[in-house]
Formats: sequence, structure tokens, C-alpha cells
Amino acid sequence: MNGHVKSMHFQRFMETATTLLSLLLVMAFDSSRTVAASRNQQCGDSVQKSLKLSRLLQKESVDLIKTYKASQGEMSELFCKVSVNNVPDPNISGLEPSEKIASIYTHLQEFFPHFEWVYEQQTDLQLPTSPLLSDLRRFTAGSRNLAYLIKPFYQSLFPNVPLPERGPTTLPPPQNIFQQKVYGCVVLKTFKELLSNVSRELRSLKSQVCRRRTHTNTLF
Amino acid sequence: MVSAGELLLLAGLVLAAAATGGFYQTNHLVTAPQTTQFLEIGSNFKATCMIVNTTEVTADDLYWKLSETTVSKELYTKLNESAISVTVPVTSVQSEWLFCRAKKGKSPYVFLNTGKFMYGVLLKKGYPPGKPENVFCVAVQEKTTISSTFRCDWATVGRQTSDVPTKYTLNVVVIHIRNYSVSTEGTHAQVEFVDTYPHFMTLEIWVEAHNMLGKIESERITQDANSFVKTNPPSDIKVISEKYFPTSPLMNWTQPINKSYGKLKYEIRFCTSGSPNWTYVPKGDIATDIQSFRLQSLQPYTEYITQVRCQLGHWSDWSGTTMKTAEDRPTSKPDLWRTIAEVDGKNERRVQFISKDPVFANGRIITFDIKIQEQKNDNLQWDTILVNGSESSDGQRVITVLKDMLLADLRPVRLCVTANNSVGTSPMASLFISAKGREDSPVKGLKVWSAEGKLWLQWTPPNGPDLSEYVVEWVSGEQTDWQRENKNTRLTAIKGNLEGFVRYTVSVYSIYSGRIGKPASKEAYLKEGAPLEGPVVRLNDKPGRNEAELGWVEIPLHRQRGFIVNYTINYTGGGETHEVTVPGNTVSYTLKSLSSNTKYDTWINASTVRGSAQSSTHSFTTLKYAPGEVESIVVGVSLGFMFVVLMTMLLCLYKKDVIKENLWPRIPDPGESTIGNWSPDYPLKAETLKENCLSGISVLDVDVCDGKSVFEEDKACLPLKKDKYLSEEHSSGIGGSSCMSSPRQSVSDSDEGSDMADTTASTVQYSSVVASNGYKGQTPNPHPQQAVFSRSESTQPLLDSEENPDMVIQESSRQSQRFKQENPAEIHLLEMDQQQQEGGVESLGFCPRDEESEQTKPSEGQSAASSYMSQREGYRPQ
Repeated sequence: MNGHVKSMHFQRFMETATTLLSLLLVMAFDSSRTVAASRNQQCGDSVQKSLKLSRLLQKESVDLIKTYKASQGEMSELFCKVSVNNVPDPNISGLEPSEKIASIYTHLQEFFPHFEWVYEQQTDLQLPTSPLLSDLRRFTAGSRNLAYLIKPFYQSLFPNVPLPERGPTTLPPPQNIFQQKVYGCVVLKTFKELLSNVSRELRSLKSQVCRRRTHTNTLF
Repeated sequence: MVSAGELLLLAGLVLAAAATGGFYQTNHLVTAPQTTQFLEIGSNFKATCMIVNTTEVTADDLYWKLSETTVSKELYTKLNESAISVTVPVTSVQSEWLFCRAKKGKSPYVFLNTGKFMYGVLLKKGYPPGKPENVFCVAVQEKTTISSTFRCDWATVGRQTSDVPTKYTLNVVVIHIRNYSVSTEGTHAQVEFVDTYPHFMTLEIWVEAHNMLGKIESERITQDANSFVKTNPPSDIKVISEKYFPTSPLMNWTQPINKSYGKLKYEIRFCTSGSPNWTYVPKGDIATDIQSFRLQSLQPYTEYITQVRCQLGHWSDWSGTTMKTAEDRPTSKPDLWRTIAEVDGKNERRVQFISKDPVFANGRIITFDIKIQEQKNDNLQWDTILVNGSESSDGQRVITVLKDMLLADLRPVRLCVTANNSVGTSPMASLFISAKGREDSPVKGLKVWSAEGKLWLQWTPPNGPDLSEYVVEWVSGEQTDWQRENKNTRLTAIKGNLEGFVRYTVSVYSIYSGRIGKPASKEAYLKEGAPLEGPVVRLNDKPGRNEAELGWVEIPLHRQRGFIVNYTINYTGGGETHEVTVPGNTVSYTLKSLSSNTKYDTWINASTVRGSAQSSTHSFTTLKYAPGEVESIVVGVSLGFMFVVLMTMLLCLYKKDVIKENLWPRIPDPGESTIGNWSPDYPLKAETLKENCLSGISVLDVDVCDGKSVFEEDKACLPLKKDKYLSEEHSSGIGGSSCMSSPRQSVSDSDEGSDMADTTASTVQYSSVVASNGYKGQTPNPHPQQAVFSRSESTQPLLDSEENPDMVIQESSRQSQRFKQENPAEIHLLEMDQQQQEGGVESLGFCPRDEESEQTKPSEGQSAASSYMSQREGYRPQ
């Protein structure tokens, strides 16, 4: 009789312990889901912001190129069809998201010296009140902001993988005015192409990186 | 007790004093703290004063002054013999100096070096900064992009003083990129982002408030930069009203900024023109990033104002346009009503059917179709009434006159009306006018009052069955308007455009399934004012002696501007002003107790509850006599006079014999007289007279000079000189007396006589004494003889005396008077005796006619003289 009672007590204890353990597991799972959701949201927000900014810059690049052409005088259409060396590659390299993001960041960085150079050239070619100059400065600043957005995003995603440093920039040799006009247009067009590639890559990265991070967190 | 901290402070001060020995060479007191202090109002401030490089004073000689006030010693703390501290509360806002000073009387050195024994510290007071609140930042759109100027506003909290001002620093951090900071003393600041607005970047914003008493930060705002963007409102707004969707116009617009900046949210609202109430389209019905929206449930043929705004961060301003929806078929009945006017002298009514467009006309009403239906003789023909199409400018529905007709009092009629616009026909409205006197009962207890700029009505419903609705009608002059109220209404306000200072007749009709009941009516003003003019004052009748009836014409209705509550009649006259107030429905008043023959000025003030207006002054003068008063006097006097006359006549009639006897005494007929002869009973004494022309003439009370008789009978006498006869002195004789007397004079004199008969006898010559030598042609005896006197016994006056009355009036009066007192015959004789005694007959007077007679008949005068003497002698015995 006593043994049966003891058995009954133990059985009840086990049931209670099992219930409590289950409850704890559920709470832990839910907590992890909450944290994962929060991180996933941050990831998505960062990518989304970068994507929006890249689209805005893309749209502004179209406007800028129009403004550029309009301010270069005759044969402006011809300027943009000529190929020029020493302009960064607009294509994004890498297979992994980290590599792609790093490539985006690096390519953006590579263009900034060219923007500066084009701005200086156009400062000599345009009147100080030319809208091209202000648009160039605004566009350059916006492009830097995109880079500034990508960097913390990358660092948050891949805190242990440092961003590669920007390589040496090769600016074109001294040019005549025609060459300057051609050069500026090619830089803008190439950068516009880069922005297009960035937008596409960010769109894919948003679905890849942020979801994967969610899965990773879920598994913890 | 001196704390360890204070000792450390003292040590520090000493060291500081040693380090700055130059300063202490001139000052023997020093405080801690030494420099200007910023203090929080409400706190306590503690300072310490130390004696340096002197033994002239001790801590007991020190005292503190705050501005001009010596600080109470209770607040002092003596640290040692050379140091003292004080703790003062910081209360007032003004800055103050706190001085540590030494008493002057301690030694001559102190007295002579007061400046060295004084040290002060300036206390500036204020409040610690308050935490900035409600930080609001915005970046507005500039052309097609967002401005890089970023402006923030905030609200200050807490108080500030001029001594401790608060400054603010706006901090804007573009996360991971750059920090911006700008300071200001105001409540707003702006930063300029480098080159471009940081779209899609995260901004952290806060405002730091700081002053000498501390610093504090506002709440930090960490948001996407685009959330601070305020774009321009949507542009190029167009609303397209389509014919087949009159209630659902399509709204189009252009986005103010490229959608690459972000998705724009929109908000849409609309209202009818002139209405202050906006209808908002539910936000859930409006998608983002759209450039068109179809509005729903609008009224056809109605002008609407539609507006839209967008939001990227902050909502933009509203932008919009005005549009009119397309027409649709009228969806409600025309608002049918009637006016009825009595026709004088006939048992008919003039009925005018009028109508307003349907409430939901949904277009311009072009025509009304009407059908007049009498109960026993239905007229099923529809008549079409064209509408002018004018629309009211004040938003009120236009009233169209549909039909004018004469309607017998006992004849009911029904009118059916439909309204048509370009799209279709409205439902039919009908109105039934009952026979006169057979209307259903009216509402009860109608009250009308003005409040809140409206005319309000309240009533109790009638008892009649089938009550369907009420019609509230208001009439002013020729203008009639109405509105309909449902059958449950007990209180309502007139919705029409009423004017102030206009009298309205407000009526409530109960409608019984289309039949119009009896109205209940009241007059009312939306707003009352003082009359524009006073009444025209006049007198209803001529003014009386003590009263006058004033009448006045009511002020024209459109100039009354309110109900006349009373008239105040003012009238002034005789230096007094009176005032009488009469009710407003009075049009005449009789002024009483007026003074007679007085000019009165009167005027009337017509008063409403809001003021009064004065009439022009009317003047009148009261009569001196009351009407009929003069006539009464005249009649009274006349009656009195007539009475007197009548009485006199009656008296004469009754006393005619007495009067006749007195006035016309019986005179003996001379024809019946006889001459008697008598001889005097004494001998006549012959006298020698120079002139004896008077012989034969004897006059008893003769007033008229019987010149003729003298001329005829005694014209040979009177040989007297003319000048003698004219002399007054000589007129006292018998001849003068007889010539100058007159009958009239004698009659008047007779009143004083004692004997009427005698007096009367004296006024007429009813007797004469003639010389005996002849009477009337009888030849007297030419020889001297004893005188014989003849006397007539007749009482008949001598007719000759009346032939020349004027010649004797004046001269005869004196003689006549004598005869009144005495027997005239005796007087004459006595006088003659006296005159003879005094000087003969030269003094006898004669009239000029006698003189002439004498001149022409001198021979006769001699005989007369002898007769005269005889007369004297012969008369005496009588």
C-alpha cells in the first residue's frame, strides 16, 4: 500500500516536472523567435533602406545625366557613347552575400574619387550657378550615404569579416575639354549601371540574408 | 562647530592669499568664493570671510552686508578668530553684492582704510534650465528634391532670468555619418546637411538646454530622415464629373515628389461650397502612391470643394479645386405651398400656388407640371409651367409662382405638381386647400423668440388626426417663405435668411395628409433696434382752452425696426415740460390741464426695447376762451338787455298815464284862452327911461327869444345900442334872460326842481305877459296911461321860441337856473327893481335880434318901454 502511494507521488512529481520543462521550452522558443524576429526586422530595414536609397540614386542619376548632357553643349549625346578607360567596373562580384555586399561597398567607394574629379572638371567648365554642379554634389553625397548605409549593414551581418579596403584609384591623365566631357558622362553612366546592379543585388540579398539569419537564429 | 571641510577651505584661502600676495598687500579681507557666483533661486549660499595680514580686527569685528542690508548675525558662523562664514537664502531674482566688512570703530587704521577692510562677491541668480519639449523637426521640399536645411522647433520649460540665460543646442546626428550641432538662445534652430538631405538615413535628434546652473537634454528622437520631410501638396488637381456617374466624380493629381523618395500617403476631403463641414474619405480606402481617386456618394449638380494632401514624413498642406457634379433626375418632391388673400366684397379667395425646387433637384429645374384637381370635377390635364431658371445667389431655393386663381370660399381644390430637369421628373407633390372655415385645428401655444441669431418657434401639436407634418411660414411685406418640419417637431428655428429689424409674421400650419390646417401666427423680429424715425404728430382737432387732442401716424413698418412698446409724449409750454407715456398701440392722446392762450411744443418718442426715436416738434397755441364761451356771454348779455327792455316796456305800459302826465303835461289850448284885465293894486310910478323898448314884453321863464313876436309886436322898441346888448353885464336883465334861455336847457334843469309841474312850465313858453297896449297885432294905446297887464292863462308853449333855439342856448342857462329856485315872475321883478335902483334900465340885456328889431322899428320901442314899466308895477301883486 505504501509503495503504491510512493509510486503515485513520484508519478505526480514527474508529471509536474515534465509540464514545467515543457513550459520552459516553449518560453525559450518563443523568446528566441522574438529575438530572431527583431534581428530579422533590423536586417530587413537596413537592406530596405539601402535598396530605397539605391533606387533614389538611380532615379537621380538619370536626372543628373540629363542635366549633364544639357549642360555640355552640342554633341552631348555623342559624349556618352564613347568608352573611356580607368572608369570603375559597374559589375558586382562575389558569390556569397558577404562578398556581394563587400563588392557593392567597394565599388561605391571606387567611384567617389571619379565624382570628385568630374566635379572639379565641370567646375572649370560650368558657371558657378550651374545646376549641374549642385546636382553633382548632391548626387555624390547621396552615393556616399549609400556606402555609409551598406557598411553598418555588412558589419551587422558579418561582424567578423572585415570589409576589404578600397584599392588604389586610377584617375585619368590630363584631358582636354572634350575628353573631360566624355569622361564625366561615362562616369555617371557607369555609376548609374552600378546602382542598377546594386538595387538588384540588394533585392536578392534581402530575401537571402535576412531569411537565412532568421533560420540561423531559430536553430541556435 | 567648524567642519573639516571649512578648515580645508580656510587653508586654501590662506594659500591663495600667499600666492597672490600683491592683492593682500592692499586688502585685509578676502571671501571664498571670490568671483561672481550663479545661484539657483530658492537655494542657500554660503560664503566665508577671512582676515589676512592684519591684527587690527578679529572675526568678531566682521559683518556681512547683502546689498544694503546687514545680514543678521544669526546666520553667521565663526570659524576662528580670523574667519567667519555666512549662509544666506537666495530669494530675489535681482543680482546682489554680498560684502564682508569690518567695523570701523575698532582702530584708527581700520577707520582710515575702510577699503582694505571690505570684500564683495556678486551673486547672480536664476533657475536651472528646463527640459525642452515637443521637439519638432522638418525638412521641406525645394523644387523636386528635399532641402538640406533641417529646422527644429521646441518648447521651453521652466523659468529664466536675465542673469542666468538658457541656451539651447540642437544636435542632429546622421547615424554612422556625421554630427551636426547648432546653438541658439531661441526655441528653434536649423542645421544644414552637407550637400544633400540624408534620405533613408537614420537621424538622432535632441535639444540640450544649458545655463550656468546646469544643463538638460530633451528626449532623443531617432527616426528615418524621411519622416521629417514635408513635401509640397499634390498639384494639378482635377475632378472629372462624368455624366453617367453624377455622384462619383474622378479626382486626379500629380505627386509632388518622385516616388523614389518614398511612398506617399494621401488624405482626401470634400464639402459643398460654402459649407464648413468637411467629409473625409476613410484612410483605409486610399492606397499609397496613387494619383487618382474616385469620390463617392456626392450629390448631383452640386458644387463641391475637393482637397488632397500627401505625407512622406509630415503631412503636406492641402491643395484642392472646386467642381460641380453632373445632373441627375430630381429625387425629391417639389416644395409646394400657397398664399391666400381675401377678395373684398366677394366670397372668393385669391390663391397663389408657389413652389420651391425639390431639395434634391439634382439639376436645374426647367419646368413644373401642375394639375389642378377639384373634388367633383377633376381636371386631369397637366399644365407645364416654365421656370425662368434663375438661381438664388444666397443659397436659398428660388420660389416659383405656379398658378394664380380665384377660388370660391366654399370650394376646395387640390394641386399636384412635378418638377423636371434635363434628366428626368421628380416625384409628385400635392397640396389640398380646404373650403374656407373648414380647416383643421391649428397648433396650440405658439411661441416665437429670437436667440443665437435665429428665430425659434415652439408649439404644442393640435389634436387632429392624420397629422403628417408642419409648415412654418414667415411673411414680411410681400415676401413669403416657408420650411417644412416633421410631425414630431415641437421646437425649431427658421432656416431662411431672415433680416434684422424686419417684422415677420410667423405662422405654423399643421398639415393633415396634404390638407392645410388653420395657422397659428405670431409677429416677431430677429433683431430689434431703435426706430429710424419718430411718428408724425398732429392735432386731431383745434386746440381747446385747456386741452388738446394729439394724434400721430404710426411709423412705417419698415422703419419701426422693432415693436413699439410705448410712446412718450413730451409737451412744453409756459416754461414747463411734461411727459406722458402711453402704450404702444395708442395713436391719440388728449393733453389736459393746459394753460389757456399758451403756445405748446410737443413731440413724441416712439420706443422699442432697443431705443427710441423722436418725432419732429409740433406746436400749437391754446385758445383764450373755450369754444362757446364768447357766445354764452353774448347771449347772456343780450338776454339781460332784452329783459331790461321788456321790463321797461311793461313798466311803460302799466305806468303810461303817469309817464304821459309827466312827460307830456296837459297844456291848455291857447285857442281856448281868454284875456283878462286887471289893474295893479298899487300905482305905477312913471319912470324916465332912456330906452323903453321893453315895454309891453313880459316873459315868464322864456327860454326862446321870441324875436319874431318882438319884431312883430315890439319892433319899434329896443332902441339900445348894439354893444350894450352884447355885454355880459347887461345880459342879466329880463330881456337877456328871455332871449338866451332855451327849452332843452330848461328841461334838463327841471330835474333839480322841486316841482315837476313848475319845472315843466318853466321849460316852455306857455304863458306870456304882454303889454296892455296890444296882443298879436292889436294896436296898443299910444298914450301914456296907467299900465294894464294882460296875462295868458294858456299852458301852450309859445311856438316862436322853437324857431331859433341855437341862438339862445348858451346865454340862457344862468337865467334859467334862477327860475328854478324862485318864482320866476317875482325874481324878474326883484331884479328889475334892483337894477333900477342901481342905475336905471341901461343894464337891461337884449338879444341882438331884439336889437335889430329896435333899429328897424325905433318908434315901437318907445311904446314898449312904457309898457315895461307898467308890467313891473302890475306884476308884483301876483
